[in-house]
Amino acid sequence: MGRYILRRSLLGVATLLLVMFVLHLLTTFAIQINGNPALAFFGERVPTAAQLAAVETRFGLDDPCYDQTGNPCLGPFVERLGAYAQGDFGTNLRGREVTDIVATAAPNTLKLFLVVTIVWFLLGMGLGTVAARWRGRSADHGIRLTSVLIDAFPIFVLLLVYRYVFAVPLNAWATETFGADSLPALWFRPSFDDDHSWATLLVPGILLGLAGSAAFIRLVRASQLESYAGDHVRTARSRGLHERHVVLHHVMRNSAVPVVTAVGLTFTEALAGAVITEGMMNIYGMGGVLWEAVRGTDVALVLGVVTILAAVTVAVMLVVDIAYAALDPRIRYA
Amino acid sequence: MPEPTAATATPDAPGTGVSASLGGDAWRRLRRRPDVIVSALVVVFFTVMAAFPTLFTSTDPQRCIIGDSKTRPQGLGATHPLGTDVHGCDMLAQLVHGARPSLLLAFVVVGASVVIGVVLGLLAGYYLGWVDTVVSRTIEVFLVIPLLLAALLLLSLFRNVSVGSGAFDVILLPALVLTLFGWMGYSRYVRASTLEAKNLDYVTAARALGASDLRIMVRHVLPNAIGPVTALVPTAIAGVISAEAVLAFLGIGVRPPAISWGIMITNGAEWVTGGYPYLLLIPLGCLILTVLALVVLGDALRDALDPRLR
Amino acid sequence: MGRRAALAAAATAVTLVLASCSGGGGGDDEGGDGADGGGGSDADATLRLALAQDVETLLPMDSNVGDNISVLDVVYDGLVRYDPETTEPYNYVAESIESDDNTVWTIKLKHDLTFQNGEPVDAEAFARAWNYAAYGPNAMANNYFFERIAGYDEMQGETDDDGNVTEEPAADTLSGLEVVDPQTLEVTLNGPFAGFATMLGYTGFYPVAQACLDDVEACAVKPIGNGPFQVEQWDQGVSLTATRWEDYSLEETPTYGTIEWTEYAGTENWPDFQAGNLDFAVPPPAELATAQNDPDLQERFVEGPGAALTYLAFPLYEDGPWTDIEFRKAISLAIDRQGIIDALLPGERVPADSWVVPDGVPGGEAGTCQWCEFDPAAAKAALEKAGGWPDGEKMTIHLGQDETEQALFKAIGDSIQENLGIPYELDPTPDYFDRRSARDFSGPFRANWFPDYPLNENYLAPVYASGDAKNGNTEFGYYSEDFEAAIAAGDEAATLEEAVTHYQEAEAVLAEDFPTVPVVFSVNSYYYSENVSNVVLDPFSGEPKLRLLEVTNGM
Repeated sequence: MGRYILRRSLLGVATLLLVMFVLHLLTTFAIQINGNPALAFFGERVPTAAQLAAVETRFGLDDPCYDQTGNPCLGPFVERLGAYAQGDFGTNLRGREVTDIVATAAPNTLKLFLVVTIVWFLLGMGLGTVAARWRGRSADHGIRLTSVLIDAFPIFVLLLVYRYVFAVPLNAWATETFGADSLPALWFRPSFDDDHSWATLLVPGILLGLAGSAAFIRLVRASQLESYAGDHVRTARSRGLHERHVVLHHVMRNSAVPVVTAVGLTFTEALAGAVITEGMMNIYGMGGVLWEAVRGTDVALVLGVVTILAAVTVAVMLVVDIAYAALDPRIRYA
Repeated sequence: MPEPTAATATPDAPGTGVSASLGGDAWRRLRRRPDVIVSALVVVFFTVMAAFPTLFTSTDPQRCIIGDSKTRPQGLGATHPLGTDVHGCDMLAQLVHGARPSLLLAFVVVGASVVIGVVLGLLAGYYLGWVDTVVSRTIEVFLVIPLLLAALLLLSLFRNVSVGSGAFDVILLPALVLTLFGWMGYSRYVRASTLEAKNLDYVTAARALGASDLRIMVRHVLPNAIGPVTALVPTAIAGVISAEAVLAFLGIGVRPPAISWGIMITNGAEWVTGGYPYLLLIPLGCLILTVLALVVLGDALRDALDPRLR
Repeated sequence: MGRRAALAAAATAVTLVLASCSGGGGGDDEGGDGADGGGGSDADATLRLALAQDVETLLPMDSNVGDNISVLDVVYDGLVRYDPETTEPYNYVAESIESDDNTVWTIKLKHDLTFQNGEPVDAEAFARAWNYAAYGPNAMANNYFFERIAGYDEMQGETDDDGNVTEEPAADTLSGLEVVDPQTLEVTLNGPFAGFATMLGYTGFYPVAQACLDDVEACAVKPIGNGPFQVEQWDQGVSLTATRWEDYSLEETPTYGTIEWTEYAGTENWPDFQAGNLDFAVPPPAELATAQNDPDLQERFVEGPGAALTYLAFPLYEDGPWTDIEFRKAISLAIDRQGIIDALLPGERVPADSWVVPDGVPGGEAGTCQWCEFDPAAAKAALEKAGGWPDGEKMTIHLGQDETEQALFKAIGDSIQENLGIPYELDPTPDYFDRRSARDFSGPFRANWFPDYPLNENYLAPVYASGDAKNGNTEFGYYSEDFEAAIAAGDEAATLEEAVTHYQEAEAVLAEDFPTVPVVFSVNSYYYSENVSNVVLDPFSGEPKLRLLEVTNGM
């Protein structure tokens, strides 16, 4: 097992480097095709050449390779890696430290994702198990129908309706009933509040989790149905074990494997939801920061943020893989 | 597949002509379910709408008169049966012409993703070794790069490139991005199932009897692995149709002035609380109906095709 | 994602008296301590405002979007401030601003003023700020404001076509700035400009402390101001807090204790206002009707005409139907301005029929554009006279990526398509400004002007004058000798009144030549909470005048 973890970790680092390089190429190419991002610094005004040169130097965009389409700009890439190795992630186009931005934004996004993951897991395992257990009955149909409906509902519609229709009256009701600084009043605040991050993230997190939960419900249901048909369950049943014991120990545990995999898989996909949720609920998070950075071709910020995000994702996948191997011993010898 | 199965060890496969009888059987089962019939009709209806929009409306969706802004639905036979949007464009015409990009995108993306994912997953899981390493690394790189980031980067790369305005042109970029980032799931599941199936008795037996790799993969491993994939396909189509709406909301999906359901939902969502819910409810209703129908069809198909669930 | 471009920089205009209907303390008078600011505030009350998240700096020399301007307005004091009713400047930090020839200006400062760190606010404090801003390599956003001061050109340096510096700037101070004594600053301009004193209240002309220039990065985040509030803490991207500076010695200071800005990525803050977490907000278009029908909210509504002009410009440098004035007339006459506003942004814009906002700034007059009404028949006739539009071609309308503007210009395009039969397509481009200055447009394009100071000249000279008879101005290739002459006459006029008249003549030249089509003027409006009263909108930013507000603790 130790060797397996080591091997996976090394592979994870390789993936990380590969991702950084691919992104470096993409952003470099974008600059070469579309022109100087330092221009973005000036917004509406047309800078004098001297001003532009000053800004380029300030943000390390003065390397001539950025003017040569097709040049992979390896020099700046290696330089950047060196700087990263020393913990220097540079500054954005406005001179703010990337690490400073991430330190402010990342905790909010991680908290949001944590709520989302818990919602996925609870809904997926809970409703998926019920649907599989009573396959073909009304409970099964109801759960499947609801999950499809939720799935088809775009997250921004969900959030918009919540914010404009439900949040204000709920907040007013909670404020009246429990007081302005009570927990329920904070839960229903229409926007994120940095002083009460957990309380104000709860509802957006649940809504975002809800919107993505249908896939998990269906996944758990499908994999449990297979389990029910599997030999080990038949054996367990034939040995006269209690149905509850069978469901808990043989069916649910087996279905946890694909769910764990899927959580790892969906992590980066949730970023799109995060951009929207963060934007609409005014959460200062990684999604919004990245979004603005790409739109402004803020290379240092894009690469810095993505590197950090990618590192987290690689770590999550590592954990998932190790959990996978622990749950299913055959994997690790593969 | 006409040739008979070689000495099969599959417990559920009764002798020769497995596929033929399985397919026929599935068809007979499906025909008897009313929900399947209704769903199929819904999907066919919208597919026809996407293919031949002029059958449903003769109004030009791009002709918008600001003075007619937000006319409420007038009912069949009137100038604007479903009313007009904020810009005074006819809702029915938009809905009908918006079906094509939305559905085309979903089918193209899921089709391409499944093919790529299944092939790569099967190869990786079956051969392991360097094939597996390459596939797994590729999967990981794509998993680590957030789809949204890639979509934005690609879009900014091509932002000054005119792609044209044909049916395929307007969905080209979102289709490319969604496919690029859509196949890994299938691949991972297929790889995992392949790993499991490879060790099953009947596969070992088939190999011992000298069946070729391709044959084992297609006849024994694939059917085993296709179960979870089939369960994912309807969700995936629903997912792409919804994803199109999300991309439209972020302004990086189908490019206006082309219309899609996602663009209509995005524009309508703004007005839902302002007393014009139909602007959202009409396109959203169509989207949900389509998704629901597809999922019902998919589930039924899966139940019918998966021999182990009988 | 925002529906409106974040309460962007806008200079506004006058008729703001509407606000006073609930002035004088609001419904909640308990605890008002009646200090000099005007009475109704609680000393420990907090004002809660929204701020756009793209605020990146609070350095006065580098701040020129609406939101950092509105923060700096309470953190810094300028030489002059502007009367909210007449928009005329009055001396504030300046004791007097005088000139005999409109070229050499003598500015005398009030005595004994200090920065929040104790440094004196003297002539040197202004000189160091202006020199820093004017020095090209510092790349300050407000650099261009100093181009009228002698010695500006020598501070910009030279570069070759690849952007490599070929020549360092020859000077690092403006030769036109002279510190005569600690209280006297003498400014020499390149040429006469009667409106110079009018410019001096702008953010770019604020003084800075020496400690600020010693550590510019720190000062950009935590300014050392000379105004009534000091920035307590700024969690960039999240919130900004300012508290009252107790040692403030001038008269314009409110009596409430704290201002809290919450940063918003978009402008989706209406529900927060409804939930009582914000004191000012603007509803999104869909909520406008509901808000307008709420009698309770209507009592807490303030509105003032905005001064931002959105117009349609043409690539006159490129051959096309638009080089014919009849074609431009046809386009203008085909746009249903009022219908578009009613459908998309009711109450948030007004149809424009002049190039300078009427009544808002000295010299502004309504109706100078005679072809700005909606008349489809006249439009068709004009198009025919111009020779029509080439068959089978689409007219491309270029614009930026702001969503509200895209909706607005889609409606404009629809109007043109419907009334003139010209098929169109929108080209929302992220490189709008680059492409515009590179003359890369092949059809009409959106343009917008936020004036920097309240004078009709600011709508005209910076936009249309170039002095380049051959190529015309960069943006649309317009040149008119008469126009340039009228502007020059205005600049050289002895008094501001005379100057304004000359500038009006310049606008009349535009009305004849019709190089651009005025479309809409902005409108500033706000709903405010029960906690605030005496709400007056600033003539420049369109934001509430924070120094006049009265805030109670509420609840």
